[in-house]
Amino acid sequence: MDQGVASGDGIRGPLLACRNVSKYFGALAAVRDLGFDVSPGEVLGIGGPNGAGKTTLFEMISGFNAADSGEIVFDGEPITGWTPERICHRGIARVFQMNAGFDTLSARENVILANYFGATNRVIPGLRFSRESMDRADQSLEVVGMADKRHVACRHLPVLDRKRLMIASALASEPRLLLMDEPVGGLNPEEIADIVAIVGRLPALGVTLIIIEHVMRFLVQLSTRVMILHHGEKIYEGSAAGMIRDRTVVDVYLGEGTSTRLAHFLSAKAGDAGPAASA
Amino acid sequence: MSRRDIVVGLALLAALLAVPALDPSRYIIGQLTLFFIWATIVTQWNLVLGVAGIFSLAQTALFAFGGYVTGMIGLYFGWPLWFALPVGGLAAVAFSLLIGVACLRLRGAYVALLTLAISQVMYLLIITDTECFYMDGVTCRNLTGGTRGLTKYGDFGFREILGAQWILGNYYLGAAILALATLASFIIIRSPLGMAFRALRDNQVYARSRGISRFKYQLLVFAVSAFFTGLAGGFYAGHFKVMGANTLYLSLSLFLLSMVIVGGVGRVWGPLAGAATLMIADEAFKEFVEYRNLGIGAVMVLFVMLLPKGIAGTIEDTLLPRFKRAPKGEGQETG
Ligand SMILES: Nc1ncnc2c1ncn2[C@@H]1O[C@H](COP(=O)(O)OP(=O)(O)O)[C@@H](O)[C@H]1O
Ligand SMILES: [Mg+2]
Repeated sequence: MDQGVASGDGIRGPLLACRNVSKYFGALAAVRDLGFDVSPGEVLGIGGPNGAGKTTLFEMISGFNAADSGEIVFDGEPITGWTPERICHRGIARVFQMNAGFDTLSARENVILANYFGATNRVIPGLRFSRESMDRADQSLEVVGMADKRHVACRHLPVLDRKRLMIASALASEPRLLLMDEPVGGLNPEEIADIVAIVGRLPALGVTLIIIEHVMRFLVQLSTRVMILHHGEKIYEGSAAGMIRDRTVVDVYLGEGTSTRLAHFLSAKAGDAGPAASA
Repeated sequence: MSRRDIVVGLALLAALLAVPALDPSRYIIGQLTLFFIWATIVTQWNLVLGVAGIFSLAQTALFAFGGYVTGMIGLYFGWPLWFALPVGGLAAVAFSLLIGVACLRLRGAYVALLTLAISQVMYLLIITDTECFYMDGVTCRNLTGGTRGLTKYGDFGFREILGAQWILGNYYLGAAILALATLASFIIIRSPLGMAFRALRDNQVYARSRGISRFKYQLLVFAVSAFFTGLAGGFYAGHFKVMGANTLYLSLSLFLLSMVIVGGVGRVWGPLAGAATLMIADEAFKEFVEYRNLGIGAVMVLFVMLLPKGIAGTIEDTLLPRFKRAPKGEGQETG
């Protein structure tokens, strides 16, 4: 994860490719015939109303819920139908929408485990954690700024720290692709700025990102490209600037008000460096 | 393993090895030997229930399975029990894998129900076993020994070596099995494996997303704990020279379960503390025959309500930090 962005011989094609992926819950098409690519080094932002199928898409990519049809290809290899463990070992990590963690273990133990069991498949685990795992874990805790809280039990951490811990754990499993599901959901502006700073550090570590987020300001700030889902289908894919001018997106999702505010935000951001972290 | 664990362990072992030098009554030696057996089962049950958080009630079924297999191999194949013993342990492993696979799709209370059902079915199969398997003179014997119990498969041969002191041979063998089982549970709890078990206990879905296979590690914890539990069964068979369906009584299962709880669920020293406490309590209640189970139940209720962390948990989390005024945080959560 400490290699440059261009680690995967750049030219070889997308890091992740979804082709005609569908998922049905009974008669409901949670995701329908969806196709998109993610290139190495990109940050793809996914937006869309509640129930649009965003989390379901992550469930399929990370192996928790098999696609009913279509194909998911990671780094040239079809991973459709793989178990979550195997997908993790292959290089895709996920940050969940809900706060998840190993509650009775300390922050550091959480991250060490993620590295030891997540970075490679341990056919037979050793009797102790390797030095390397501990170092990796400590580095990941540094990235999210939690080195000083490493001995606190996960269940005693406040919400923001649990989010950071989840990011550190995901990072510790040495992913090439990181899926983040609403990483700033439920946080206040100050906390959001904190997560923005952390996420901003990830591309330089060689991690390609797909971020689902409702907070559009957060999304446009970090993404190199955005995709909007609605009723399980893609209604927009392209630049953030294009999105706020897109008729369909404005009508079904953003609304005029948000669109205008985002336009101001984007031009301010283009104007001077260091975006304001207000709501 | 911390230095403290090693010191405590060696001190306990030395004390148990020295007991026979004090020339105690045969009754005491017998009770201590029984303690070795129960404590062995409890160390392993603690791994499954406390560390891995799987609500399995099949531990006595594995114990009985190991005991019956050991006895049957001795009886029907004429093997010395020394060789039958490890086979009994491995047979319990095989049995536990079946149970483990059956439990994989279930959660919490359903695991408890299924495993309880398995041990009750085993009990029923044994006590309703009336078919003649072989003739012993003019008496008809069942494959499992039926309600009479399985006998005549021999013992560990200490009578020939030690004469009247034979029981000491069993005493030391039982102590050795307990020492091995305890050591194994320590190594596992403190190793990445134990941490993986606890991760799965805390959050299965999240554990899988971090590369920890539920399938692999749940079966592994079943298998490891079954091996020593099966050995305890084989040793029980050889020590008492009879293997009966009473090993599958629900009351025994509850007795051992209360040892896990009283000792401190998931704590490394919990099983030994719990087994010792409950056996002493049982001894105290013995005279009031009809209240015996009631007394054990009362001890369990008291602990659940007043000391939910059990003896080991209370000492580790509350008493020791007070003495040492240790730096807070580290180690506290990981017992
Ligand atoms: N396990 C499930 N069973 C049935 N329906 C589901 C399940 N998971 C999600 N859904 C439905 O699929 C749709 C998409 O859900 P989801 O992917 O969670 O949306 P989003 O993350 O975009 O808010 C919703 O209508 C939701 O109710
Ligand atoms: Mg969602």
